[in-house]
Amino acid sequence: MFSKILIANRGEIALRIIRACKELNIRTVAVYSEADRRSLHVRFADEAVCIGSGPSANSYLNIPSIISAAEITDVEAVHPGYGFLAENAHFAEICESCQIKFIGPSPHSIRLMGDKMVARETMRKAGLPITPGSTAMVKSKEEALRIAHRIKYPLIIKAAAGGGGKGMRICHNDVRLISALMTAQAEAEASFGNSDVYIEKYIDEPRHIEFQIVADKYGRVVHLRERDCSIQRRHQKLVEESPSPALDSKLRKKMGEMAIRGAKAVNYHNVGTMEFLLDKKGEFYFMEMNTRVQVEHPVTEMVTGIDLIKEQIKISAGEKLSFQQDDIKINGHAIECRINAEDPNNHFIPCPGKIETLNLPGGPNVRVDTHIYQGFTISPYYDSMLAKLIIHAKNRKEAIKSMKRALDEFIIEPIKTTIPFHKQVLDSQSFISGRFSTHFIENLLQESETEE
Amino acid sequence: MNIKEIKEMIALMNENNLLELEIEKEGMRIRLKKESPGSDESAKIVSVPQFSVTQEAASPQTQKEEAAKKLIEVKAPMVGTFYRSPSPESPPFVEVGQNIDAGQVVCIIEAMKLMNEIKSEVRGKLVEVLIENGHPVEFGQALFLIEPA
Repeated sequence: MFSKILIANRGEIALRIIRACKELNIRTVAVYSEADRRSLHVRFADEAVCIGSGPSANSYLNIPSIISAAEITDVEAVHPGYGFLAENAHFAEICESCQIKFIGPSPHSIRLMGDKMVARETMRKAGLPITPGSTAMVKSKEEALRIAHRIKYPLIIKAAAGGGGKGMRICHNDVRLISALMTAQAEAEASFGNSDVYIEKYIDEPRHIEFQIVADKYGRVVHLRERDCSIQRRHQKLVEESPSPALDSKLRKKMGEMAIRGAKAVNYHNVGTMEFLLDKKGEFYFMEMNTRVQVEHPVTEMVTGIDLIKEQIKISAGEKLSFQQDDIKINGHAIECRINAEDPNNHFIPCPGKIETLNLPGGPNVRVDTHIYQGFTISPYYDSMLAKLIIHAKNRKEAIKSMKRALDEFIIEPIKTTIPFHKQVLDSQSFISGRFSTHFIENLLQESETEE
Repeated sequence: MNIKEIKEMIALMNENNLLELEIEKEGMRIRLKKESPGSDESAKIVSVPQFSVTQEAASPQTQKEEAAKKLIEVKAPMVGTFYRSPSPESPPFVEVGQNIDAGQVVCIIEAMKLMNEIKSEVRGKLVEVLIENGHPVEFGQALFLIEPA
């Protein structure tokens, strides 16, 4: 087991990793930008090194600075968290060449699954169902039209190097296809430095169902059931839950087996997530794989009782998985709300600023993962997520009740946050019934507009 | 300096509503910093890196000069290990009391096996070396104090 780990991240996930390390008796090193000098992760780590100025490029994305910090503090491993360098195969390779363990999958897996087109093709060969679409990069208008006529509209154009909803365009006819092809390529070039795009059949009103994978270095792969992440705004998740109201045990078994098959096909180790789209007919298709721990990991932790961050560290240190597939039992229902510093009444624009009054919810069934405190100043350099409010209860009905109660207790003033928006989501008939797709938020926002 | 003297210093600060107080005595320098009320609650953050210092031994020559003029800090532009000379056998790049030109190399910071020459941005006299040879430094850490010309 490692004796010292450096956390190459900030905010709530850095704190989360420090917590796991402390419980495993591992010493921690935090890295921070000048803007994060007063952050909780700096306070709670055993050592801290300032690695650069506020902007991410100078600090949390600054590989030489982070590696240097790892060297002078003499750590054995680096945990990249999520975002930043977590899926940067190059960073993982540099760590290895400096004799520092990268707590995550191999650079090869990261690279393979990071190219969305290659990932699709790899999974298809492994026998996973994928959405009908192009088998290679689409280079010309003629090729795009040929594919469109083969698989039929509606279609979605996606960036091969993409993620987070960028470089995506939906089209319903030939005219739209041509213009969408060019704009998607331009956006992909601007966002990722790579204009390669591919085309997929656009699934109508899908649900986003993802399976949590845990695998050790000895070939054992287990899935920890699913998370339903259909509540998204512009492809950014806002509410996640487990189990999914849309899955019965038969479908769960089928999808779980596919998730494991996919992970085994690429000799995956550490934690990862297989994302699928589920259509109204109960058909599911592989979408992509995330080769890192995810923001919404607490949802799975609450219903399975497994500490995913500790598992990551143990797997990386060479330990075997201490559980098998049959050991995984679902206990109750968990829902997570991502509280962001955004104004839901003003197009969700980010609202950085100082937190004058803070009250965190508490009581039964409540878990809060956050880095904020009263007096903390939210800086404009990083993402707007303030906290994750996770509820774990006996069943979905009780979880919704507790979540609403907890949201009422959550005070973050005078910052504009998405708390009122979450209350709206939980009050909606569609959410309560469990029957919703990724169009949920769009529909909800339209409803509120017509009411005004 | 003993506890009684430090307590007197704190009392002095409170009586006069001072936020920061620095005193030199018998070759020792102590800096006390108080957070103003209404500022961030996390004021209790102690300097965490094990290699940064809050007490520095001041060389006798510099006492008068510091009192007279405002000093400029040369800060580390990167994370790494601080070296005063180009190699273990060579003499240091600069010594206290020496006149420094803008653009003159004052030290090396080693990062990922690469030796980076760090240059002074100001012209003046080197008043103090703040880091020990071979010690690790973080981004923005003060390395030298220069009295500008």
